[in-house]
Amino acid sequence: MPLTRVLVAEDDPDIQTVIRMSLKLKGVKEITITENGEDCLAQVKTARPDVILLDVMMPRLDGYQTCERLKANPETQSIPVIFLTAKAQQFEIKKGMATGALGYLIKPFDPMTLHDQIVALLDQKGTA
Amino acid sequence: MEAAHNLVLESFLFGILGVNWENRIVFLNQALANRLGISREEWIGKPVEGLGGVIEPRLTHAEAFRSGLIWQHEADTFKSREVDFVEGDHLLQFREDSCPLRDGSGQITGRLFTYTDISRAKTIDRMKTEFLAIASHELRTPMTSIKGSVDLILSGFAGDISGETHELLDIAQKGCDRLIRLINDILDLSKIEAGQIKLKLAPIDLVEVVQVSIRGVKSLADQQKVSLRLYRPEHLPEVEVDRDRLVQVVTNLLSNAIKFSPAESEVRVEISTGDGWLECCVADQGCGISPEDLGRVFGKFQQLGEKKRGGTGLGLAITQALVVEHRGKIWLESRLNEGSKFIFRLPIGKL
Repeated sequence: MPLTRVLVAEDDPDIQTVIRMSLKLKGVKEITITENGEDCLAQVKTARPDVILLDVMMPRLDGYQTCERLKANPETQSIPVIFLTAKAQQFEIKKGMATGALGYLIKPFDPMTLHDQIVALLDQKGTA
Repeated sequence: MEAAHNLVLESFLFGILGVNWENRIVFLNQALANRLGISREEWIGKPVEGLGGVIEPRLTHAEAFRSGLIWQHEADTFKSREVDFVEGDHLLQFREDSCPLRDGSGQITGRLFTYTDISRAKTIDRMKTEFLAIASHELRTPMTSIKGSVDLILSGFAGDISGETHELLDIAQKGCDRLIRLINDILDLSKIEAGQIKLKLAPIDLVEVVQVSIRGVKSLADQQKVSLRLYRPEHLPEVEVDRDRLVQVVTNLLSNAIKFSPAESEVRVEISTGDGWLECCVADQGCGISPEDLGRVFGKFQQLGEKKRGGTGLGLAITQALVVEHRGKIWLESRLNEGSKFIFRLPIGKL
């Protein structure tokens, strides 16, 4: 099932552009980009995303803490969260998954398959 | 002459311990006595086991340390291991090397242990790995923008591009991919060398690992028109290894063999077993390696031959480090124009 609404938390403007274009290419209609975890939490209710893509290293509130807060809140805990980060070490992946995330994708990612990778993760968990 | 020898032994900064056939201490230099906080004279002639007891509270793995001191019918071997030692608030790390102790006629009379403080080297190693981990993260971020942009332009998303533009962007894309592999390999090798990877050991079937690896390199082999063949004995004992890491080892050897193979040739994988070990041989029919280059093959950033093969130059160094981490060994048999055989051997049973 293709994605309709995606909320992204990513502080690097160039990577924001690549994510936006890569999702747009695959027909995602609403892509909300936020600069950090705090903004992401503030916009999650209005964005009503199918999935949230989180960077880890962000100012104000990092990705791990953002995911923990999303999962602790009954209103947002059912929204699937996928990390999209350059933190590629095994212990970092473990730490990310321990926050309740659905998946962990590592940068650099392939913009041509990003959408399909997200959908595959959602399908795997039966959340799509 | 003996006085001169003693002077030399006493002047060393590292500890020296000599144990005889009955596991009694025959020599203990001042550096080691000072480090352990014991009186040397008191301990000469005493059972080495007792020494273990004295320093046990300061060792993190006391039992393993003590058993390593006891002579276990392995007199002719050289051994090396790391020992953690608590001194006040600090954890010190030592390398213990041991070898046979011989008398004037060359007869083995006991075992000699030396202790070198490697704490500082270990700290520097950790700092290096941490630095590389941070650098790797920082490099990945701009790589994401570059690779992402190039991939999107090549997809035609931003409009049509001419043949020349496509060709140039293809070059940029390949460069990006290579740089990413390089970043990954540098970090991986640094962690293996610093002993910072934890092997997830479990009993596995080596044939299954080889089959998975063969499937992984199938498309590369098809591209190069190289056929892959597996030869295996009917029954094979299981071996306790980290499955993913072993797949990495076999895949590295296979892709290396394929890259150096001429079209229409064959890469053979042969699995065999012997007394206490399993062996895997990856043989190609490629150009082979000249005797003067044999020693460089497992080195870092070594690309042999005139033609660039697109690797990172770290694949075989990582492969070797992983085999050694499994207490195995790897070697190469090759002659110029007669192909190469990379062979690794793993011990059967628990690591």
